[in-house]
Amino acid sequence: MRVSTEQFTELAGQGVEKARARPSLKMVPHFLYQKREAGLATLPDAAAAQACGAAIRSEALSRLPDLLEEFEKNAIANGAKVFWARTAEEASEYIVKLAKERGAKYVIKGKSMVTEEIGLNGCLSEHGIEPWEGDLGEFIIQMLRCPPFHIIAPAINIAVETIRDLFMARADMKEPTVDPVELGWAARLFLREKFHRAEFGVTGLNMAVAETGTIINLENEGNIRFAKSSPRTQVSVMTLEKVLPTMKDALHVMRLLSRNCSGQKISAYVSMDSGPKKDGEIDGPEELVIVIVDNGRSRIYQDPRAREALRCIRCAACLNICPVYRQIGGYAYGWVYSGPMGQVLMPLLLGLDKTQELYRACTLCGACKSVCPAGIDHPSLMLYYRSLDVSADIPAAHRFGGKKRPWKEALFFKAWSTAVERFWMWNSGISMVRPLMNRGSHRGVIRRMKGAFSGWFRKRDFPAMAKETFHERWEKIRNIW
Amino acid sequence: MGKDPEHLVKGRILLSARNEILERLKAAPKKEIPVRPFMPPLKEVALGRDELADRFAEMFTAETGIVYRAKNNDHALETLTGIVKREGLKSVMVSTDEVLAPLNLPAWGIKIDVKVMSPGDFKGRDDFKDAVFDGVGAGITGVDFAVAESGTLGLIHDRDQARLISLAPILHIAIVPVERIVPVYESVVASVFEKEPFPSQFVFITGPSMTGDIRGHLFKGMHGPRRVIVILVG
Repeated sequence: MRVSTEQFTELAGQGVEKARARPSLKMVPHFLYQKREAGLATLPDAAAAQACGAAIRSEALSRLPDLLEEFEKNAIANGAKVFWARTAEEASEYIVKLAKERGAKYVIKGKSMVTEEIGLNGCLSEHGIEPWEGDLGEFIIQMLRCPPFHIIAPAINIAVETIRDLFMARADMKEPTVDPVELGWAARLFLREKFHRAEFGVTGLNMAVAETGTIINLENEGNIRFAKSSPRTQVSVMTLEKVLPTMKDALHVMRLLSRNCSGQKISAYVSMDSGPKKDGEIDGPEELVIVIVDNGRSRIYQDPRAREALRCIRCAACLNICPVYRQIGGYAYGWVYSGPMGQVLMPLLLGLDKTQELYRACTLCGACKSVCPAGIDHPSLMLYYRSLDVSADIPAAHRFGGKKRPWKEALFFKAWSTAVERFWMWNSGISMVRPLMNRGSHRGVIRRMKGAFSGWFRKRDFPAMAKETFHERWEKIRNIW
Repeated sequence: MGKDPEHLVKGRILLSARNEILERLKAAPKKEIPVRPFMPPLKEVALGRDELADRFAEMFTAETGIVYRAKNNDHALETLTGIVKREGLKSVMVSTDEVLAPLNLPAWGIKIDVKVMSPGDFKGRDDFKDAVFDGVGAGITGVDFAVAESGTLGLIHDRDQARLISLAPILHIAIVPVERIVPVYESVVASVFEKEPFPSQFVFITGPSMTGDIRGHLFKGMHGPRRVIVILVG
């Protein structure tokens, strides 16, 4: 998948234009957000439940190396195999190699984000093994070669007419229709054959339980259950922060994930695997391979502040509430992840220098933080990245590839901080700048300005500077009294 | 089952990646483990037998599930006959779990002229898959648990409970003895994971398969069953 996080501003502009042309785009995040509210209201104390989710994720991160070892030990005791991959390439190449050795003609996939992160589909195709996405949304964007628009509803923005034309061109349907149910049925019939004949299944996972060595998937469609039931080989890919201490913790996170994601009390299917099928079982995988992917996370883990981004459970509540996401949609973020969770995760994975616009495209309103069931403080992380990025010479910034700002901007802020810290400089500066500022003002409002600040005035104005400062006025008033 | 790929052999490549990652994680600065806040229990915990059954039925119906009540096994079979006739089913795939065993479904099938198949009738995985994907109008299973909290079925997959029976056919019919209804997920998981070996797979099923992936338009029956029917016995 092509990474285009550096074109954020340009893509965001295109996103806004498209959203205007198609107002229904804006309804989906609102709808999901309202369902979330109703879902959380079914808990006796939603705030305590969210806080408990945050505590669980925090504990899981604090104990991460121990929990991973415990999980590995128990998963192997259950009969699973565990493969560790340092990088995306190591993970993809291993899965391709395994698929080749098993003689797989194609791979059936359950919806997963980590396999998009490691670029598995491209790698499989290059080696002549067809990947088939089993999730309806993923299937549609795979055929259209689009990136995901939303982390849980990747094709939510695609018009029914586009899907109709796609399915007609692919000969999935005989008669054209724009009925979502009939379109879904056409996809069902095609993918059913793929599920039926599958010999090699690949899924992600939502949780890995250290205590029992169990992996857990939540889904609504059944694509993941098929990928874990029909093939002889099952590969489940996880990033290393997915591990949780106990089954009890997993159940709580399951309650929170379903509610925060779609407002459901529980998703239609939750499947928990402890090893491959046992003797005498007619379906289920003969071998279960769990791939633990690092891909930069053990480096992120070195920084106790940045580490907090790894708490994420991928519920998408932050996308649905984010005023920026609601305007620009998911394409602008330029890679697998989008919305606030993408803005805090992708700078660490790709480098602060390649994502400079991502963590600056935030008003710090804190809506994301207020809904996060894992207790991530997105705004303060984005401020942290901004501070690392401008001071690229400190060690933490080196770790995440910070890049200094343009020299003009750096010089301006250097001058600014010098001036605002010294009252005499501030006062004389004000009296010097005032006539320049107010030159283009009309009835006390500045509507445009040339130079570095022109961007501000594209959509906004600015009050003209008062003739006197507060101190100057105060001197006069005090004399009257 | 094939030979292990060489990456999986405990060779240098495998160990170095694993150890490298773990060592890096262990060398990182430590952080404190926070105290878990108090959480009030779910109200289902306090429900009695009949209330649990009502709650389960209410929640299951909310997910478009259909619930029939039966007094005993004979009544359950009558209900099942009614469903099969109404749906015009010619053949069904059934589990051999301990809930269904006393119902003797193969004998029932002969009596009402419906072809009743179970995984044991097939030579192997591929034949079974052909039948369960394309040859039956419904899958019939018992359940190990039902959870009142959300109207959820809990199935332990083992040699008597094949995975695809509750997944591949367009209709899933589950027989649920009332005494198997528990208040919350914790009651289930405590007993499923009480001792090893753990089941190869355990599933929670809440209503039919569904999707909203096309413009947020929700509909049932994406890849799995379009309808789930429960016969509550007792």
